[in-house]
Amino acid sequence: MTDFTIIFRSLAARLFSTATTVITVAVAVALMLVLLSMRDAGRKAFERGSGNMHMLVSAEPGSMVSVLNSVFYADAPDRSIPWATYEKIAEHWALDPESGGFAIPLQIGDNYRGLPIVATTPEFFTRFEPVAGHPWRLREGRFFERPWEVVVGAVAARQAGLRVGSHIHLTHGADERGHEHHEFGYDVVGILEPTGSSHDRALFTDLISAWILHAHDRREREGLVEAAHHHGEHEAHSHDNPGTTEADLLPSDRKITGIYLRAATRPGAAGSAAIGPLFAELRAQSGLTVADPVAEIGNLFAIVSNIDQILIGMAAVVLVSSGIAIMLALYNSMEQRRRQIAVFRVLGCSRGRIFNLVLTESAIIGLLGAAVGVLLSVAGSWAVAAALRQRVGLVIEPRLGLDWTLYVVAGTVVLAAVAGIVPAVMAYRTSVANNLRPLG
Amino acid sequence: MAEAPALEIRDLRFRYAGSAPGAWVVDVPALTLARGEQMLLTGGSGRGKSTLLQIIAGLMDPSPARGAGEGSCGVVLVDGHNIHELRGAKRDLFRGRRIGMIFQTFNLLHGFTALENVMAALMFSQVPAREHRERAGALLRRLGIDRVDAPPERLSVGQQQRVAVARALATGPVLVLADEPTASLDPENAAAAMDLIQGACRESGAALLCVSHDPAMAARFERREELSTLGRSVAVPEGVLGGIGP
Repeated sequence: MTDFTIIFRSLAARLFSTATTVITVAVAVALMLVLLSMRDAGRKAFERGSGNMHMLVSAEPGSMVSVLNSVFYADAPDRSIPWATYEKIAEHWALDPESGGFAIPLQIGDNYRGLPIVATTPEFFTRFEPVAGHPWRLREGRFFERPWEVVVGAVAARQAGLRVGSHIHLTHGADERGHEHHEFGYDVVGILEPTGSSHDRALFTDLISAWILHAHDRREREGLVEAAHHHGEHEAHSHDNPGTTEADLLPSDRKITGIYLRAATRPGAAGSAAIGPLFAELRAQSGLTVADPVAEIGNLFAIVSNIDQILIGMAAVVLVSSGIAIMLALYNSMEQRRRQIAVFRVLGCSRGRIFNLVLTESAIIGLLGAAVGVLLSVAGSWAVAAALRQRVGLVIEPRLGLDWTLYVVAGTVVLAAVAGIVPAVMAYRTSVANNLRPLG
Repeated sequence: MAEAPALEIRDLRFRYAGSAPGAWVVDVPALTLARGEQMLLTGGSGRGKSTLLQIIAGLMDPSPARGAGEGSCGVVLVDGHNIHELRGAKRDLFRGRRIGMIFQTFNLLHGFTALENVMAALMFSQVPAREHRERAGALLRRLGIDRVDAPPERLSVGQQQRVAVARALATGPVLVLADEPTASLDPENAAAAMDLIQGACRESGAALLCVSHDPAMAARFERREELSTLGRSVAVPEGVLGGIGP
């Protein structure tokens, strides 16, 4: 029999009180850890999305909006860039593969069941890395090679139940309630490995088919092609005879919503002296917004961090409250334990050891609460991540940093021990003579 | 060198703080209890018998002597050591190792098994921890408790008494203090309990100081003292204790 036997018997004797106190601590610890892990995971998720690009060019009114829409697919960009502008940029800066740079055009605006469609060029997969240093990898199939082929991000494939060979129709706009481009069908040719970035919930296809899709809408409005028939009429591979082909495209149909840009760099280098001049020159062009995604993410988190601090402060208050709950539980138990304490004193237990027993008991309640709280926080983080993915489309992989977990657990144990001081002093001062009946 | 007596008291006085000067609850000029000796201490309720036991056990201190620097009133030597000169944890450990206590209500630890109740006493002894279980189990079995893993509340009153006795004797004390050990028992169980306590103390060689106001106890002890005349060489007349002789 050891001091821990005494402590655990004491905890077991007040099982309901112990359990409720442990749960109170666990919820407080879980809340704190979820907030901390989501903060870190959120930052990482945002940092991952911009990958190895140096800047994002768009026609959006602001840099932050531009990054949110074109990197994180928050909404469909409102304004477009003519293809000719893109060609000038790519040509002028000699952003060819040999230089280590790239200029990858994107058109974002359609969706499939609420999942964003990114029309781009094959370089999106060969040059752009969603996470710097980690190129795209296919879980299944291949990248698109021709129009009407689509490659699906890992999360999008799981959410929409898509696999290689699936045949889909896109919906106009970022909202899935938009009209469906049912005249044109797409074939899923590849499923991507997860990257932990926002791109996991997107579908990728080529620019030509996207332009044809929207040119067909224009031609319908102009009466050049017949209005759409019933949805199911051209269900299988209807792009074989759509009424609009690449030859029907006007220069105004060839537009994009953004350009992922990387300046020429030496092999293995992340930065480049060319970034500054390129950034300045592009910014000087009217109608273009040039954003540094890393800086914009930093700005975003500078705003969010204030809210973070308030939330974490509130979680700390909840944690302190749970410490008070420990103190009350032990304080209330002292009345029933006076006789037991007196008996232990008679048996040879010193006041100091009694004090330590109560303090250790309090710390153990804190430790148990913290341990349950860590488990709860894992479940809670995944639940919050799932909700964020579902509602906001933000792909977050919550990971509990060992350091933060240890800090919170250690802090909780210390807090619990401090909460045990008042009951421990009561136990220390318990009069043996007054608590051993009968007295003469 | 002669062994010290189990208990020696000299000029012990105690009164509660705030009480009138001279209103001694305990006033024992002298008392010696040899090793292995058994003695009954009688006296009416509220006469300070239990207080005396708590002072002997070091749970209370004798009253301070009048005037600064005079120390406390009296000396209590247990196994030759002045228990009140020991401070803090040293006194507690000394009590745990040299003195066993038996109470009227047993004061067993609830939430612990019978075995653990005895092992609790051994926790503060010099007996190596690895021997605690075996030693406590053997002691309980010798006192007739086979269900050593049962919680005390599932044992009969007589068995609970045995567990309390086992706990008091577990550390091999030189002195056992029994405070009204039969007050809550019927005559038949009381007799059995006293047989047990006295027999166990005799077997272990511990001296027994038993406090009781039960006249039936007198017959069990060769040495009987009345608290009010303790140390004043006035033996308790047999008639006072109901005419039951030793």
